[in-house]
Amino acid sequence: MSAPETAQSVAPDSGLTVRIESFTGPLDLLLHLCRTNELDLSRLPVRAITDQYLAHLESVRFQDLESAGSFMVMAATLIYLKSKLLLPANPDEAEEAFDEEGELLRRELEERLREYARVKALGAWLGEREAEQALIYGRTTAELPPPEDIPLEDLSVHLLQRALQRLIEDQKRRAPRQVEPNPLSVLERMSEILDLLRSTWSLLFSSVAGPEKLRAEWVVTLLALLELVRLGQARARQAELFGEIVIERNAVSVHAPEAAASPDLEASELPDPEPGESPHA
Amino acid sequence: MPELIDVVEALLFASDTPVEAERIREVLDLESATVARELVLELRERLDAQGRALQVVEVGGGFRLVTRPEIAPWLVKLARSRTRSRLSRPSLETLAIIGYRQPVSRPEVDAIRGVNSEAVLDNLLERRLIRIAGRKESAGRPFLYETTREFLVAFGMRDLGDLPKVEGELVVPELAEAAAAQLLEPAPESGPEQGESAAAADSSEQDPGSGGDRVTAGS
Repeated sequence: MSAPETAQSVAPDSGLTVRIESFTGPLDLLLHLCRTNELDLSRLPVRAITDQYLAHLESVRFQDLESAGSFMVMAATLIYLKSKLLLPANPDEAEEAFDEEGELLRRELEERLREYARVKALGAWLGEREAEQALIYGRTTAELPPPEDIPLEDLSVHLLQRALQRLIEDQKRRAPRQVEPNPLSVLERMSEILDLLRSTWSLLFSSVAGPEKLRAEWVVTLLALLELVRLGQARARQAELFGEIVIERNAVSVHAPEAAASPDLEASELPDPEPGESPHA
Repeated sequence: MPELIDVVEALLFASDTPVEAERIREVLDLESATVARELVLELRERLDAQGRALQVVEVGGGFRLVTRPEIAPWLVKLARSRTRSRLSRPSLETLAIIGYRQPVSRPEVDAIRGVNSEAVLDNLLERRLIRIAGRKESAGRPFLYETTREFLVAFGMRDLGDLPKVEGELVVPELAEAAAAQLLEPAPESGPEQGESAAAADSSEQDPGSGGDRVTAGS
């Protein structure tokens, strides 16, 4: 509904009527001033317009420097043009040249204003179309399954960049998580293995080292196992190269007395193929 | 066995994008796109004759099945929303510039509007009404922008030819640097050139303006 909006801002009052916030740029304001004064664009009335333009600027508090800057540049141009008009024409050659330049600038400004007036009208036309289209409804998302090949020609790098940006922003918004340093200790791992061996006869190396196969975990576990084997508190078997290592309770380990008596007996019955052999991992 | 025309209706109903005549030909295995088009037009007439709530419109190079504007009040009520979000006046003006002068760079848009258009362009990109068409081989190699099919659909246009006719191209004013240079040493060729384009702009200025007024009066 941009046309009614425009109509409101171009109120029929001839005086200073309008809130500047409704102007989207210096050309917008200038055009409005020309229209409310019912002045012909083809003869830009620099004298009358400059004062009104400056009066508007004084009544306004700008939101940002950039828009203020563009309004000020226009003000400077207008003041320059007005000064040209106020100064009496001088036969001096240099002055004449300056006047030509002033005239050039004025014409350029006129042209820009006229161009902008066209754009504004076209924008209003688009606004009308949009308002018409707002009354009709069609599908926005298909019920059909998505196509096998997504047409990429309508997608731009910009959209990809936006998506990535959103992803990054999303990550940033998440509260930082304290990462606990987990110092892996061979000693701890040794006691873990012994604990496990207390309740079971044999266990797989991989079940102790963790299924994630973290290098550090595996190294620590292996060191722990080797140390236990060296101390005679456990035995290790590996049937084949790079195969699974089976950790077993050592029947004659120092910890044996702690364990129940019956498992001890069973332990002696177990085959003992490669006692004390260290695994090749 | 459903009739072809019914299948066409179903195609338009199920699709979220305008369906081209060529696509209908492909799906229905018709002999030509013209036949497909005729089927669509027949469907359109049928819906119109029966005074149905749905209509066929031709937008963005294809056909859509949409509701009639008279139904809008009930749909708004159904959606429990007063309006759809509309584009701002700066956005519409920027779209108009891109619509007529595409592909166009931001400095050119800025020069016509007299203000920085970065935020507006970002918003339009986000809404997929425009897209980046490449880079301009000039200082800073700025992005070039062009309108998308979504733009045509959003404004109910078949193609860019549906934009109101303007006489001559939209003139991009000399950029700030060039204008400053002109101030210091007036270029001899700029005089007649400017007069020419000013005259062209003068005669065509009335055209879109009066067009806009007509629409306002009609609605």
